[in-house]
Amino acid sequence: MLPLRLLVVLVFFTMLVSCKQSEPDNRTVFTLNLDQGLSSLDPAFARNQYVIWMDNQIFDSLVQMNDSLETVPSVAKSWEISPDGKTYTFHLRNDVYFHDDPLFVGGKGRRCVASDFVYSFRRIIDPKIASSGGWIFNGKVSGMDAFEAPNDSTFVVKLLNPFPPLLSMLTAQYCSVVPHEVADHYGKDFRSHPIGTGPFKFKYWKEGEILVLLKNEKYWEMDGDQRLPYLDAIKATFISDKQTAFMEFVKKKLDFFNSLDGSYRDDILTKSGKPTRKYKGKFQMIIAPYLNTEYLGMLVDTNLAIVKSSPTRDKRIRQAISYAIDRRRLVKYLRNSVGTPGHAGFIPRGMPGFSATEVKGYEYNPEKAKKLLAEAGYPNGKNMPPITLQTSTTYKDLIEFVQGELNSVGIRCVVEVNQSTSLRDLIAKNSVNFFRGSWIADYPDGENYLSVFYSKNYVPIGPNYTSFKNAKFDRLFEASYYEPDNEKRYAMYRQMDNLVMEEAPVVILYYDQLMNLYQNGISGFSTNAQNLLILKRVKKK
Amino acid sequence: MIRYSLHKIAYGLAVLAGVVVVVFFLFNILPGDPARMTLGQRPDVQSLEAVRKEFGLDRPVYVQFAYYVNDLSPIAIHESDSMAKAKYNYVKLFSVSSTKSLVLKEPYLRRSYQTRRNVSSILAETIPNTFILALTAMIFATLIGVFLGVVSAVNRDTWIDSSANAFAILGISAPSFFAGIIIAWIFGFVLSDYTGLNMSGSLYNYDPFDGEVLTLKNLILPMITLGLRPLAIIVQLTRSAMLDVLSQDYIRTAKAKGLSSNRIIYKHALKNALNPVITAISGWFASLLAGSFFVEYIFGYNGLGKATVDALELSDFPVVMGAILFVAFIFVIINILVDILYAFIDPRVKLA
Repeated sequence: MLPLRLLVVLVFFTMLVSCKQSEPDNRTVFTLNLDQGLSSLDPAFARNQYVIWMDNQIFDSLVQMNDSLETVPSVAKSWEISPDGKTYTFHLRNDVYFHDDPLFVGGKGRRCVASDFVYSFRRIIDPKIASSGGWIFNGKVSGMDAFEAPNDSTFVVKLLNPFPPLLSMLTAQYCSVVPHEVADHYGKDFRSHPIGTGPFKFKYWKEGEILVLLKNEKYWEMDGDQRLPYLDAIKATFISDKQTAFMEFVKKKLDFFNSLDGSYRDDILTKSGKPTRKYKGKFQMIIAPYLNTEYLGMLVDTNLAIVKSSPTRDKRIRQAISYAIDRRRLVKYLRNSVGTPGHAGFIPRGMPGFSATEVKGYEYNPEKAKKLLAEAGYPNGKNMPPITLQTSTTYKDLIEFVQGELNSVGIRCVVEVNQSTSLRDLIAKNSVNFFRGSWIADYPDGENYLSVFYSKNYVPIGPNYTSFKNAKFDRLFEASYYEPDNEKRYAMYRQMDNLVMEEAPVVILYYDQLMNLYQNGISGFSTNAQNLLILKRVKKK
Repeated sequence: MIRYSLHKIAYGLAVLAGVVVVVFFLFNILPGDPARMTLGQRPDVQSLEAVRKEFGLDRPVYVQFAYYVNDLSPIAIHESDSMAKAKYNYVKLFSVSSTKSLVLKEPYLRRSYQTRRNVSSILAETIPNTFILALTAMIFATLIGVFLGVVSAVNRDTWIDSSANAFAILGISAPSFFAGIIIAWIFGFVLSDYTGLNMSGSLYNYDPFDGEVLTLKNLILPMITLGLRPLAIIVQLTRSAMLDVLSQDYIRTAKAKGLSSNRIIYKHALKNALNPVITAISGWFASLLAGSFFVEYIFGYNGLGKATVDALELSDFPVVMGAILFVAFIFVIINILVDILYAFIDPRVKLA
């Protein structure tokens, strides 16, 4: 009797199991992990990479960026710039629809029109919204009336002064188009009820656990005769421990992985930046320029009390510091060659107009460093008061390397480790002399980097954290706004970058690179120096 | 009894008030501008002002404090208009002026500086996760711990006793983040094909097409990791308390009466031996709630600890304050309950 009963149970179970497997699921889900968490999905708060990444799937802007960092059409199919460079007129597509939402009439997403851009752009500069993207238009437009919609398919932006980088800035996720019905209804909670026109629509978000986006079946963009996107869904997890996340990638539970952390760096990469034997061929590895300059900043304005008493007020000392650091060794041993030694200017490799031959920075030259020290009155660093270098915990190993390099030429350097929040505050108040910093491009134009040295951007007004002031630089910087020709403007940028390098308010350590890992079945991903995640053309086998 | 309880409750409220004052002013002394932290690398003056105004950071510290306490207090004074009513969700008691009224409401914990999400909704989402984790860890530790403790006391000075002892020492001395990594790596990575367990994940998984799925197996590894330390302590405590009790006269009497040894151990001895264990467990439970951070972090488990430390790094005052207040609240409640419970269990405790 017993064997029969067992048989029945067995058959029953087999049926159960086969039942589950009877309909093969061809739908593709792209999985990734956002280890830093996700603060919002509202494009008005797209201030860090992960918000930008996810907003880029849900929303569209007037224009978008291609992998060579050029501005190409998106919702705007064409545009004109007035001869004085102050009026931009955009002609919009008429086949762009918002995702469905109960707040629309009949629950169907309505057509996106020019007045939606007026609403969305005003939202960024509205003090009541307190968007983190206010800087995009603040100071560049007169106010709310700078944005106009003469008809449904024409959108006009009026600037106070010419600003050639405007188009590339409009690719920023801050400038995404949002529907007023939904954004007004949810107010602050639009952050977790995002409705846009992008290739994926929002489905589910349990904060700190899982985010799911589904394919927008009615997306307007085509790839030949194929409607984008190809993926059926995107699923993001939020594992904060990078090592755990990496192991999930090794187990193929993630399709994409991008953070290079000390705990497993040597496991994946050799010192020369090649995949280790253990992982060779196991997944696709892409290493490419990333618009991020890692640097050390020094206060240079001698009117500041804190500068008067510091040896770094002397240009020769600052140059000596720059000559004393072997960046090749730094990149090789601390970054496993992911990064390019910073031998040119502040504008990073990968930025349109970058030139390592025309902008001369500092190469490793300890002899010259010692000579400059002696000229400044401190032969071999004798009698030179120690300088304090401020860093946050994350970059301690990097800064300790720098400390060693400086000590070896006779510059006594003390390292002070701060919490990153407090350090940012100290830097923003000009209360530290010598600090580690990084500058990630907000938009792919050299102006974004040079604005850090414009004297009218002194803190707290702007990001001139080194209190750099140079009349010639300022004149060139202002003139560059009136140069619509890109190549000529880039030449001016290089000239300015050389001026900065000569005065040495910053020590360029390295230009960052991104390291993206994809599973072997993934194709169609894009790699660009803004490290923007574009998933609409991605296919998964 | 009532007077005793009221006394304890008043004391608890004073503790909470102290926490509010200390944390609030501590946050204001610390360097770090919350407005700047919400704006990325290039804040401009207009945006900074807008953010400061939104969070009320443009006012003097003592005014900010008064507003904060007013937001926290269940009985408070707020604007009478509909916007304030929607924000605080209050019940109006009576008007104090033409625009303001005295209201009754739930404590309003404000919105996160970083994510602008309601702190109460962050807490509501993470607390149950942490609570379930702590509770299951505690149950796991208590059941296994008491059992092992009894077994090792009864088998005193045998190999069973010494191996239980060795296990306890290992459990106490292994920090949870270390034990967590080892456990996650062995059972969630190396042996995952056999155990079927994940290295990380929360209580619910979400299938893009099928929706939410309860994934209880994600609880197993964090539960063991978190329960390891209390388990080890419970083993030790139970063992020594049992040994103490087993040498008492009434146990000898019970033996003389001819009761079965199981009955003596579990009915007569264990009941009396559990007293110190209960104290330890109740104390541990609150600290498990607060201390599960490492475990949550390693296993990517979305709980209160993870939310708090993330917020702390970003100077996200409302979230940190909300979380600290909640943990303090739990500590206070548990202490009150334990004190009252003690008075019941042990008549020698004076009701004063």
